Amino acid sequence: MTQVATLPDPLAEVAPPRGRSGGAAWGLWLARRLGLAALTMWLVSVLVFVATAALGDPVRAILGRDYDSNVARRQQLEDQLGVGDSLVSRYLDWLGGLVTGDLGTSLANQQPVWGQISSTVTNTLVLVLLSALVMIPLAFGIAMISAHFRRKRPDTVIQTVLLALAGVPEFVTGILLVALFSTSVFNIFPAVTLVAPGGSPWDEPKGMVLPVATLVLAVTPYVSRIVRATLLEVLDSDYVELARLKGIPEPVVMRRHALLNAIVPGIQVIALQLAWLAGGVVLVETLFAYPGVGKQLVDSVRNHDVPMVQALSMIIAGVYIVVNLVADVLSILLTPRARTAISS
Amino acid sequence: MNQNPRPSFELSRRQLLRYSGIGVAAVAGSSFLTACGEDGGGGGGGGGGPQASGGTLIHGATGGGAKDTIDPHQPVTAADIARVCNLYEPLLFWNNNYELEAALAESVEPSADAKTWTVTMRQGATFHNGQPVTAEDAWLSIRRVADPKAPLSAGGQLSQIIDFESSKVVDEATLQIVLNTPYAILDSLLAEYTLGIIPGGEFDPANPVGTGAFAYESFEAGKTSTFTKYADYWGDAAFLDELVIQDFADDNAKVNALQANQIQTLDNLPYNLIDTIKGAGGGVLEAQGGQWTPFTMRVDQAPFNDVRVRQAFRLIVDRQAMIDQTLSGYGSLGNDLYAPLDTAYASDLPQREQDIDQAKSLLAQAGAEGLQVELFTGDDIGSVAVPAANLFAEQAKAAGVEVKVTKKTPFYDDDYLSYTFAQDFWNTRNYIPQAVVGTFPPEQGGTYNETHWDNQEHRDLVNAAAKEVDEARRAELIRDAQEIEYNEGGLIIWGFRNQIDAHASNVQGLEPSKYLPLGNYKFSKVSV
Repeated sequence: MTQVATLPDPLAEVAPPRGRSGGAAWGLWLARRLGLAALTMWLVSVLVFVATAALGDPVRAILGRDYDSNVARRQQLEDQLGVGDSLVSRYLDWLGGLVTGDLGTSLANQQPVWGQISSTVTNTLVLVLLSALVMIPLAFGIAMISAHFRRKRPDTVIQTVLLALAGVPEFVTGILLVALFSTSVFNIFPAVTLVAPGGSPWDEPKGMVLPVATLVLAVTPYVSRIVRATLLEVLDSDYVELARLKGIPEPVVMRRHALLNAIVPGIQVIALQLAWLAGGVVLVETLFAYPGVGKQLVDSVRNHDVPMVQALSMIIAGVYIVVNLVADVLSILLTPRARTAISS
Repeated sequence: MNQNPRPSFELSRRQLLRYSGIGVAAVAGSSFLTACGEDGGGGGGGGGGPQASGGTLIHGATGGGAKDTIDPHQPVTAADIARVCNLYEPLLFWNNNYELEAALAESVEPSADAKTWTVTMRQGATFHNGQPVTAEDAWLSIRRVADPKAPLSAGGQLSQIIDFESSKVVDEATLQIVLNTPYAILDSLLAEYTLGIIPGGEFDPANPVGTGAFAYESFEAGKTSTFTKYADYWGDAAFLDELVIQDFADDNAKVNALQANQIQTLDNLPYNLIDTIKGAGGGVLEAQGGQWTPFTMRVDQAPFNDVRVRQAFRLIVDRQAMIDQTLSGYGSLGNDLYAPLDTAYASDLPQREQDIDQAKSLLAQAGAEGLQVELFTGDDIGSVAVPAANLFAEQAKAAGVEVKVTKKTPFYDDDYLSYTFAQDFWNTRNYIPQAVVGTFPPEQGGTYNETHWDNQEHRDLVNAAAKEVDEARRAELIRDAQEIEYNEGGLIIWGFRNQIDAHASNVQGLEPSKYLPLGNYKFSKVSV
């Protein structure tokens, strides 16, 4: 193990240069990224607003054939949506509300939007987080085993299984899991999520098992395959070869030299997958009757509930941006070259 | 997600209008309802043995979402209806056999001219807040529903016929409803589940109060609502301590939940899953129903302005094949007449069957050989519509008629009611109200007259029947009106859909009903 210490440690060696200029450079870089994120959010808000409020006439869409006959309701909806005002002032009103945390009132049931979506947003985030906690170690573990046995039988078996899983849509996996574990074969786990009034889906932890398992099975193959591919590339590189020639045990080579360098593409693909999950996996939520964002968004679109659709779209966009930002920061911290580039 | 077609219970906005519309139904039974006893206790349903008290039942309801409501007078989805039926009660009930029964009113009686109706309230019925139910509460609830400025579901017809000035609350237990026109079937309008009686006719969303066997506990739109047993219920108190109604957006989730024993009952089981449930030991509740998806031919436009073409088209349909293929066999034959549950249904008219030769000859007489027509359909009519349209096109080939099926999305847009040849969806309803809404000119109440049928003789018969207090005479008038439609009408009514619901093996007390799913959602009779 002593040889290990003498090896260049990718994390330790190229830390950002200390001193005023380095710190300032990092601050500047972070500020720029945050500024870009804010700009993206603003652009998204314009798109969301234009797509939901400005195109077509939502009031006509909501009332349909009653548009002409039900004048009172039309008036009420038009007031609520501010149809009389100019587009810009409506947008600014809405944006102002958004910034101050006032998401408006749902058209479908006249309840505040935030009160209705706060619990579903939390539910979805918990589901995604749990899936991530299971998926990340699993995906990396599989990738390492697979890379270790590269082009031997275990690797072939693993790759075939992963490819098959990646090819099956996630709701099919879900249906099979339900049939296997809750209805047809065994009766171990609940088939759907029943939430007591005022409670949360995870009040009954067993109920979370199948939704989480479905999502993990849906996402793991992608992450695992990317990490494996990168690992193989790294394992072929000169410095890994050198480490081996120096007599470093293979597990250590794998963990310290190969994996750390293969982690960055993994982070990127994990971020994309998690953001996709947070956007609401409608089919999985529907299958398990899980009260999440995706189902609510579909319901709101069906109801032409403009404020709800806007709020949910903004939250989903926000999650995408935050997750990707975190992934970028992590990637840079883990890539010596990028780190030096910023701090110099 | 589902390969198999399945009956959807999702309601389009227009279907909503239809479910509500003018209340369901003309009278089956006598208008003179003395307190005919409620049947004693829960009948045996699922298993054997006496029913046990206590426990919680979770009902999986089809549909529901952010628009869910617990308003007694504006239910839309199956989930809303299930909630409303357990929390509130109207003056009269439709029983499982689609006949009127006393509920909060002991009797509802017309005067000889059917212009003045006297409602006698039941003694000893109380609201969940302990207050007695009075005639005043009934009148204010009716006024809320039948507000002429904004009538709710059950109030369309009521708002037009009630004379609000002359009607009055006589005393605690007596309400006198005066009409501005004779109407012999007012009692049937008062029996709608959308006309529950609430204290002072005021609905408080934060604390809904009714008279049903279950009292409000909690409600979350699109998710779960809970109810507790009301111990002071005027009828037989519920067996269950608690009732939970859970919304399900997806049929598979609902059925999986039943199989995993997470829920005990569900409404509107998809036909393709009947065997799955039976195989897993669950119970399936099948009831004759009155929902229909007719083909509509405009009688004022070529080629259907020739009655021979209309009759030929009615002879082209292989009705049993329609039922077998679009309803998986779970339906009953139609005879181009609606309101099969009405006691005055003209079952003596010969059952029309496919007769291609006769159809060809009629078409030839009408000079319409090699006829080409366009048939409009759409998914929003219901899951039965498009397969039925395609099947009709197939069947029409034999008679040399070329039918081009055009699927419109949405079907219910501004063109609705002007299609020459199309389809439509109707829920069950008795003859008189259905004839008014479906075959009268729009200015006389025919909001959905798809066929543009305009027949004075038929109309006079229907109007006379609506005013006729004598039941036998009324049935005769209705029969004559049906015969006209049977011979000349523009509707092809090939069948009626059966209602299929499911329950777990330990559920007792469920009885099939012709009116609403799961024995009219009367969970008070059910035990687990």
